[in-house]
Formats: sequence, C-alpha cells, structure tokens
Amino acid sequence: MKIKRDVNRAPGIPISSMSDIAFLLLIFIMVISLINYRREIKISYPEAANYEVTQDKQNLEIWVDDKGVIFYKGEVIQINALEKVIVDSIIEKPGIRIHIIADKKTKYKNIDDIMNILRLLQHRVVSLVVKD
Amino acid sequence: MQIKIRKKKVINALESGSLSDLAFLLIIFFIVIAVFNVNMGFLLDLPKKNSSKIVNTQDIIRVAIEADAQITCDEETVTIEKLQDLVTERLKLRPNMTLYLLIDPEVEYQAVVDIIDVIRLMKVENFSFKMKGT
Repeated sequence: MKIKRDVNRAPGIPISSMSDIAFLLLIFIMVISLINYRREIKISYPEAANYEVTQDKQNLEIWVDDKGVIFYKGEVIQINALEKVIVDSIIEKPGIRIHIIADKKTKYKNIDDIMNILRLLQHRVVSLVVKD
Repeated sequence: MQIKIRKKKVINALESGSLSDLAFLLIIFFIVIAVFNVNMGFLLDLPKKNSSKIVNTQDIIRVAIEADAQITCDEETVTIEKLQDLVTERLKLRPNMTLYLLIDPEVEYQAVVDIIDVIRLMKVENFSFKMKGT
C-alpha cells in the first residue's frame, strides 16, 4: 500500500534556533571581554578642562600610583623592565601610543622617569591621561 | 485505503521576536564597553634627540613650578589665573612666544597638569618643559 505524504511545506530556512545561537554568542563575547578587560589601578585621576581624546588604535598604558609605583597590565614593574616592555612594544607596533596614567598626587619625578625612556627611544608622542 | 498524515506545523521564521532584543542588548553592551576604555588627556610631543632651535630671548616666557605648586613667571610669583592673563598678553605682543616650563621633581602631577591645561587653553604652540636638575 502506498502512503502519500503531504510535502507541500512552505520553502525557507528554519531559523527558530537562531535566538539560542545569538544568546550563546552574547555570553561568549561578554566572557571574552571580561578576560581582556583593562586592569585598572586605584588612582585619583588629575583633572583638566581642555582635554582631548588621546586613545589610538594601538595603545600602551603605564600606570603610576601616588607613591610612584609603576604598573603595567596590573602588575608592578621596575623602570628597567618597563623600558624593555616599551622597546618591545615599539618594535612590534611602531605607531603605538603610550599613555601615562598617573595619580594626581604622584611626584613629577616619577613621571619624568618614564618620559626619559621615551626621549631616549625617540618615541615622541606621549599621552598624559586626565579625568574625563 | 489512504492514510492521512497530519501536517506538522511550520514555525514561521519571523516569529523569533526575541532575536531583536538580543541584538539590541549586544549593541548596548558594545557601546558601554567602548566608552569605558577611552583615554582622555593631553598629547605632548617630546623633543627630537640633539635638536636645538634658535629662539629670540625676548620671545621666551619662563615659568617655573616649585615643589609646593607655587608658580613663578619670569621670577615673579603668580597664580594660575594670573599666569593665564600674562600668557594671553604676551601672545598678543609676541605671537612666536615660547613657554619654557621648569618643573620641580617633587611637585604633584596635578599642578603640572594645571599648567599644561592653561597652555592648551591659550593655544601656545611653542612649549618646552624640563625637570629641574636634569
């Protein structure tokens, strides 16, 4: 006996599971963003009125706390090691922008130490970050 | 005998209405994340190695900042507001004015930022800075 099947379905791609995929994608991106999040050091940003956006495509952030301790990617770093990090970063990405994010109570001599490295390396543009 | 098979209900693709909500959440998330990591501040050009520029001494305005954040302009103690006025006046007289800032190593960073802020506000093009004792 022949069984006849009704095959007159509307043509189209079933995308009902798309929302599940989108949701998983959302969770995935959120988790990845949390992994790559900026490790901030607790500082009081200096304040200014006439600031501009100094962010570039490639950025290197050097943090200095009020006691003059230098941090890179959330870890304490000595000035000699920082020099190596800067050199490596410049070799890898020549147009990298270097940001000095220092506490408003930091002594200027600590910032000048970093500037001296940049002067020696002839990396001429430096960004001094302030509170926005 | 013909057996009738019940036709399955086809889910309409357009009924997945929650998809737009998710997409919207995703957009909001990216906007928030993008806003978080934007640095604002001042871009400074450091001098070239062994570079020297001949400047008319009368075009130079010497500003020094002491450890206690006291500002002196051409050996005279001034406030930040007074400095702003002096720079404005000098710029009118000498458009090629060069501001030379001498910074005490012990001064707090905020005091230096305050002066750079004024320099930016006054649109001083020739600006040079150095730490005392270097």
